[in-house]
Formats: sequence, C-alpha cells, structure tokens
Amino acid sequence: MLELKNVYVKYGQFTAIQNVNIQVDAGEIVVLLGANGAGKSTTFRAISGLSKPVSGEIQLEDQAIGGKSPDQIVKTGIVQCAEDRKLFTQMTVQENLMMGAYVHRKKKNEMKKRFQEVYDMFPILYEKRKDTAGSLSGGQQQMLAIGRALMSKPKIMLLDEPSIGLAPMIVEQMFETIKQINREGTTILLAEQNANAALSIASKGYVFENGKIVVEGTSEELFSNEEVRRAYIGA
Amino acid sequence: MELLIQQLFNGLTIGSVYSLVALGLTLVYGILHIPNFAHGALYMVGAYVTLTMMVQGGFHYLLAIVISILVVGLISVLMERVVFHPLRDSTPIQHKVAAIGVLLFLEALAHYIWGADYQQMPTPYGQVVKVFDLTFTMQRILIVVTAIVVMILLYLFLKKTYTGATIIAMSQNREGAYLVGINANKVAMLTFFIAGALAAIGASLTSPINLVFPSMGHLVILKAFVIIIIGGMGSVPGAILGGYILGFSESLGATYLFSDYKDLIAFVLLVIILTVKPQGIFAKGGV
Ligand SMILES: Nc1ncnc2c1ncn2[C@@H]1O[C@H](COP(=O)(O)OP(=O)(O)O)[C@@H](O)[C@H]1O
Ligand SMILES: [Mg+2]
Repeated sequence: MLELKNVYVKYGQFTAIQNVNIQVDAGEIVVLLGANGAGKSTTFRAISGLSKPVSGEIQLEDQAIGGKSPDQIVKTGIVQCAEDRKLFTQMTVQENLMMGAYVHRKKKNEMKKRFQEVYDMFPILYEKRKDTAGSLSGGQQQMLAIGRALMSKPKIMLLDEPSIGLAPMIVEQMFETIKQINREGTTILLAEQNANAALSIASKGYVFENGKIVVEGTSEELFSNEEVRRAYIGA
Repeated sequence: MELLIQQLFNGLTIGSVYSLVALGLTLVYGILHIPNFAHGALYMVGAYVTLTMMVQGGFHYLLAIVISILVVGLISVLMERVVFHPLRDSTPIQHKVAAIGVLLFLEALAHYIWGADYQQMPTPYGQVVKVFDLTFTMQRILIVVTAIVVMILLYLFLKKTYTGATIIAMSQNREGAYLVGINANKVAMLTFFIAGALAAIGASLTSPINLVFPSMGHLVILKAFVIIIIGGMGSVPGAILGGYILGFSESLGATYLFSDYKDLIAFVLLVIILTVKPQGIFAKGGV
C-alpha cells in the first residue's frame, strides 16, 4: 500500500536518513524502532511532504507521492500524528477536530459522522469539547491529536511516538486505541522507542540506526533477534 | 472637560486607523513570521489609488475606496507570490531584506507615477456635526464607524467561518495546519489580500485629514510595528487593543504633556509595556 524506495533526506548538508526502504501493506500495523535521532521522524516528515526527499521514491497504492505538498498528501489518504502533536493550542477541542476534517469541509454529513466516531472513541474529548487544546493533560492532548487525524478518514495513519511522556497506564490504553483504530480499517505506521509494546501489536518492524535501517522482519523475528533484544527490549 | 472628550474622540479616530494597519501586519506575521516592512508602502499606495480614482476617475469617495481595496489587495497577493513565496525556505534575514526591497520599489514607483508633491484628498464628508458643545467632522465619525465595522467583520470571519479558521490554525501551528491538509498557499494569499485591503481602508479613511505623499507610510508602519510588539506579535486582539492604546496615548499626551513630541509617545509606550510584559499584552495566535 505504502512503499518507500531508497529514500534519502537531508537537513542542509546533513543526511538524516539514507537508503530507506519500507513496505506497508493494507490493514497492517508496521513499527519503526530506533533510539532518539535514528531517523524515524524524518522518515515520517518525508512521507507527509514536510521534508522533501533528495532522492528515492515514495508510493501510495502504486502512485508516486514523493514531492507532493503536505496538503496534497493528506488528500491521498495519509495523515500524520506528529511527535510534538502540533495541536492548535488556543483553539477548542471541537475546533481542532473540525480542522482535522479539512479535506471533508464541504461534506456536512461526513463531518458529523467523523465527530461521532471520534467522540465515541474518546468520550473525554466530548466532555472537554469546549476547552482549549492547550489546557488538556498530555494524554488527552495525544488523544486529541489522534482524533484530529482520524477526522480526515485516513487510509493510513503515521503515529510518531504516541506513548512519549505518558504515564504507563495511559500508554497501555494508547496501544489499545491504536489496535482498535487498526481493526476499524486504518493501516498504521508507528514509530516507537517502546519496542516491547509496539512489537506486540505490530505485524512487522524496521530498526533504524543513524538514519539507516539495520534490521527488519516480522514482529516474532525481531522479538527473537538477539541484537534487537539487547538494544531495544532489554534482556 | 470638553477638551478631554474632544481629545478622547481624536484618540479613537487615530487609534482606529492604527488598529486597521496593525491588524494586517500582525496577520501576516502570524502565519508567515515575516515582519512585512512593505506594509507601509501598501498603505501609501492605498491612499494614492483612492485619490486617483476620485480626482482622475471621477468616482465617489466610497467607490474609490472599494477600488483601492481591490487594487492594493491584489498588489499584496502579488507581493506574496513573487517575493515571499519563492523565499519560503530561506532565513528570516532574507525575508526582511526582501520586504525592505519591496518597500523601496513601491515608493520609487509612487514617485514615478504620482510625483513627490504632498496632495490633499477631497472628501464628501467634510461637514461638521455639533453634539452638545462638541464638534466632530463627519469624516472622523466615518473613520471610527467604518474601522469598527471592518474589525467586527474580520473577527466574525476569523472566528465563525471555516476559511477564517484556517488562518488562525496556521498562525497557531504552521506544520499542524499542513498536516490536516490546509493549503498553505491559499492561506498565505488570502492573508496577504486581507492585509492589503486593511491597509487601503486605513489609508483612504485617514488621508482626507492628513496628506498623501510617497513616504506617508513610514511613520505609520513604524508605529504599527510598535503596536504589534506591544499587543503580542501575531495577536489579533493585541493589534486592536494596541492600536487604540497608542491612539489615546498620542492624543492625550499631545494635549496634556508634550505636543511637539507626540510621535515619540509610541516608543515611550513600547519601553514601558515591554518592561512590564516582555511578550506583549497577548501571547501570539489568539482571536
Ligand atoms: N530540523 C532538523 N534540522 C537538522 N537536523 C535535524 C532536524 N530534525 C532532525 N535532525 C537530525 O536528523 C536525525 C534524525 O532525527 P529524527 O528523524 O528526528 O530521529 P528520531 O525521530 O528517530 O528521533 C538526527 O540526527 C537529528 O538530530
Ligand atoms: Mg522522532
């Protein structure tokens, strides 16, 4: 469904990712593992059109999307929940969700349905719909970021470290939610440092080191890979 | 007492124009983080277009203003497309240099087309209205009423329409706006159009009580920058409040403190307010 072939991205002179090859099939949860600075977010930026690859190809359902602008990419059905969430902090929860449905802004019914789905998934967002996004707790902000992304009814959602900075109990909920979104038909590409939890819900994964993919395989393979265990899972 | 009320009304008049100009500046700063020094030149062109349409075109004052809004709005959009858009990935200093370049270009163009002379803009609203013992010219009343109506309309547009909300969204989180699918080019062009339109309205309203000349935008833009720094860079309510604070300070200061130095008041105010609130009165991005 989504395919990256030999993708390189530079920030100025610095090559942040090189020769990245990733394949995500429809309906899957795929995880990108790697320490801080390994290149996960840069890969997401390239897919979303926020950073233009200097070379390589990005395809969605066999159509080249590399080089498209971020708004065109959202229209193709790829949406990203960024690491720092990028919420509109002085807008209300409801306004944030409404902006999330930008690509459907002219379809009143679709919009309503989207709101219903998101509020069903996150009842707390309904309760807080009149509050500003900036006043929410970290976990609620993450839910809002995911909710806002869902408002566009994406084919594939890129989730960049959704568990970062959250309490362990909330992290568990977060992974349940990700599974649920996937069950309801959205393909998921997840970036995580929490390898254990991520691999337990993913079908396969890629391990990044210094901007390159060093290991890839099914979740079982990565789980039993000695190196991966030592570096990312711990014992 | 009468003098006080008269001066308060003057403050309201000047403040209305300052707010209109500062609003355009703050909107552009909010979404693109460009301090658009050329905004004062748009203001100047706005005055000339209205003047030309009235004197040469024979149009009614109000119709001339509408034409000016369209012309300056389009020049502003053109400026975004031709100058700032190609520079979108460059450094802030390059934006500033480009903005100054546009300013110089537009001023030279105005010199070439309209000459360097000071010109007077006629107005059909010169009559004097007497309320109790106070006298107001219709023109000043027109300035205040129009400015307030325009600001209310702008507020409703930003707050109550989806398109308006895209401007706010982009000013609060630019990449967040990209990631929900908002078309950055559309928002940028729209914002520049609004900024140009507001500058044209401000200039056209105030010109009959001031004069029209190529460098007329200098002091105004300097003050508009002071206003948005005071109000909080990128803040819409900050620009409005800041405009009126400056308007009142100038008219009262000129009457009761030092009339010869009234243009200094803006900078005194800047120092005082930034000492108390270094980020300005409002944090950026709110409506
Ligand atoms: N905007 C940027 N400018 C320059 N270098 C960057 C920028 N963003 C990330 N980098 C660098 O690119 C590399 C990859 O970073 P990133 O993709 O954020 O990694 P991860 O998401 O895996 O933590 C790091 O070395 C990081 O320092
Ligand atoms: Mg990252």
